[in-house]
Amino acid sequence: MTVKGCEPFLQAYDIDVNNGDTILDALHKIKDVQDGTLSFRRSCRSAICGSCAVNINGAPKLACKTQILPEFEKHGRLTIEPLSNFPVIKDLVVDFDSFWEKVHKIEPYLTPKESSAKTKDKDGFWIIKKQDALKIDDVSNCIFCGSCYSACNTMAVDNQFIGPAALAKVWRFAGDVREGNNKKRLAKVSEDHGIWSCSRCVECTQVCPKDVKPLIAIEDTRAKAIKAGIKDNAGVRHVESMVDSVKRTGLLDEATMTVKTLGFMRSLGIIPLGLKMEFHGKMPLPNLFKSIKGIEEVKKIYEEVEKKGSRVKAGTHPKDGWGS
Amino acid sequence: MVSHDVLIIGAGLAGMRAAIEAARQGLNAAIVTKVHPVRSHSVAAQGGINAAIGENDSWDAHAFDTVKGSDYLGDQDAIEIMCKEAPKDILELDSMGAIFSRDEKGRIAQRPFGGAGFPRTCFAADRTGHALLHLLYEQVVKCGIGIYEEWFVLSIVIEDEKVCGIIAMDIRTGILHRLQAKAIILATGGYGRVYRNSTNALINTGDGMNLALDAGAPLMDMEFVQFHPTTLKTTGILVTEGARGEGAYLLNSIGQRFMSKYAPNALELASRDVVSRAEQQEIEEGRGIDGCVLLDLRHLGEEKIKERLPQIRSLAIDFEGIDPVKEPIPIKPGAHYSMGGIKTDLSGATKVKGLFAAGECACVSVHGANRLGGNSLLDTIVFGRRAGISASIYAKENNIKEFPDYQLKETAHSIAVITNRRQGERGSVIRDELANIMIKNVGVFRDKERLFAAKEKIKELKERYNHVYLEDKGDIFNTELLETIELKNLLTIAECIVLGAINRTESRGAHFRLDYPKRDDETWLKHTMFYKKDDEIKIDYKDVAITKHKPMERKY
Repeated sequence: MTVKGCEPFLQAYDIDVNNGDTILDALHKIKDVQDGTLSFRRSCRSAICGSCAVNINGAPKLACKTQILPEFEKHGRLTIEPLSNFPVIKDLVVDFDSFWEKVHKIEPYLTPKESSAKTKDKDGFWIIKKQDALKIDDVSNCIFCGSCYSACNTMAVDNQFIGPAALAKVWRFAGDVREGNNKKRLAKVSEDHGIWSCSRCVECTQVCPKDVKPLIAIEDTRAKAIKAGIKDNAGVRHVESMVDSVKRTGLLDEATMTVKTLGFMRSLGIIPLGLKMEFHGKMPLPNLFKSIKGIEEVKKIYEEVEKKGSRVKAGTHPKDGWGS
Repeated sequence: MVSHDVLIIGAGLAGMRAAIEAARQGLNAAIVTKVHPVRSHSVAAQGGINAAIGENDSWDAHAFDTVKGSDYLGDQDAIEIMCKEAPKDILELDSMGAIFSRDEKGRIAQRPFGGAGFPRTCFAADRTGHALLHLLYEQVVKCGIGIYEEWFVLSIVIEDEKVCGIIAMDIRTGILHRLQAKAIILATGGYGRVYRNSTNALINTGDGMNLALDAGAPLMDMEFVQFHPTTLKTTGILVTEGARGEGAYLLNSIGQRFMSKYAPNALELASRDVVSRAEQQEIEEGRGIDGCVLLDLRHLGEEKIKERLPQIRSLAIDFEGIDPVKEPIPIKPGAHYSMGGIKTDLSGATKVKGLFAAGECACVSVHGANRLGGNSLLDTIVFGRRAGISASIYAKENNIKEFPDYQLKETAHSIAVITNRRQGERGSVIRDELANIMIKNVGVFRDKERLFAAKEKIKELKERYNHVYLEDKGDIFNTELLETIELKNLLTIAECIVLGAINRTESRGAHFRLDYPKRDDETWLKHTMFYKKDDEIKIDYKDVAITKHKPMERKY
């Protein structure tokens, strides 16, 4: 619990708990009976408004949806803290300003493409096939509760990272068959601190209370950006040099990948890091010629994949894989 | 002082729709809201939004269903406008990028809803409100409309009988601000927290209705409170009417589909007041289970439940530990919607010049004595848009007015009185007692004795409110202070509901008097009007607008 001008501290409260009581019930009991100064956000109490995400025993969860007893039995304690990666205003209330700024940055609205008799019916309503609607079904569940943003490991080291919620919102539009502004939006999020900054740690997808799967949205967006020809950035160069390295030798040539990703001049900038790694015996050397034994098998895999075009057929993937 | 052409208070569907309209008119519009827009309670609407866009449907049929559903208290001129304009508004939402569920051909799907003669409810699975609220937020961002986020409006300032602005508290800092405006639109939603068993969010405390009363604009038909037939047993969380629209059954403790007794034709899809009363009667006559009846979805099959009602399934699992694929859900009626509200004309204007209202906080009246499912989202969009237009016209024709100094002092003083109190009673005690007496005495079934007891209790609670004290004396994010101001709003709303219900010696729509079980058109085919004078609620009456449909007996 934090008070302006104070160092943050934890405060203990004892409450009686009934079976089925939620963390939000507990917070209300404390506020109503023991400590009127306790502040937290809440509204719908049915897991749809996104107000009440807090860290419960270290993991971001909706207070209204989390039952006390199972949580207590699992951890043997109940520590409730404000979300991580957000500045704290008071107690469990955090400052969402930069979260929203990032959401706004991706131009979070549909810019409809030109319609035709095929895309709209006689009354002017869009015709949308079920499989097309399914592509954005998961991301359209987002309630902007900030859980993913709180759990995001990239955010913890790069506070300019746009974050999983805003990137899921990117796919909300990039994956919409009606969208006509994809190229611009995809180019924008391909810049630094965008889709390619995600470290793919899966935390966002694991903590999401609405099963939005931001990581899959990020992967879908990356695939779509490459397909749209937006390749002049470190992220794509990194991926392409990785693909190339494995195809050529069956091995990951990390040293060469670094140079290809960052370019020669910027690679010079990380020489100090290289020296440090060398000191610890962890500096990989460029591997230009050596291949693994089964390299022919690897090449066959590549051929198969390239023949198919992508891992999963367009329109069937969204629940479980890469983009179309 | 900061000034705007149009200030919108509240950022739910009606508020944001109004703001978008004002921005389109080229005006400087801004929204003041006590929570971030996407936290507004429109987000919790589940089932859908009505519009006669089906091949064989017509706006006329929609209007008749709505009039009948309102138990003939709805104003028919307003209902005609809503139903006629509905298809165009749906088309607009669709072109903004709404994610409505589709049929096999890729066209907008429509499901049957209670009290409707045609499947005319468009939906986004069972999270239509969420889909539309996020959609309108996107459009607000696109239009670059300013948002005073987490600002709580304390008063509307009136000078020479015209609005000139508001006084609001920035919740994060506790600082009071003055904002000037040529026109103000109230879109603050309902007051469901007056009741203990309620589907409403904790923020739904009737703030806008109180602001209007204090500004001199009357409320209308406050005794009509909708009780939704299907709310979860322990939490009161809503289970959409769409569940019954998709074919779910209501069962009593002996496994009967009891609705055949009460509404032999429409069964589970009779209008909400009818179904809620039927459930309550089953429970009171001993055919309930633990104060509930059962909503059975099992025969719909796992696939349909997952596709059409995914949120309902999660809510039942997460909050009741019941998977509707395998077990029926225990449900009971709960307070859900306010048919009454700030009286407006067809353009959203209130009695006070420059003050407009739209959405659940307003009463045009399109819902009369009982609202049909799927008509509330429609109300917010149609009349949000209309209020946006007329407020814009008003703002163009009027100038910014001088903002009197004394108002800020008075408002600051009224807050200081609460925060400076050194001892007294905690507001939460009063809030809980109010919610309990209201559900017990002013619920689905009412009678003279219970209503008068409630009136006495509210009088006592209002007196006790004058001695409420706060533990939180700080400025920053003082939610205890907010809840205390909201409590005052709840008390006034409760008083209006009870006074209206005591006077109305008949049964109509959601207002059912055990001591007067018949509808009495001769005496009571009229709206109740509520005014505030010298801190007292005064009541008056007004005729209902009837165009085509003469009152008939209402059967489902």
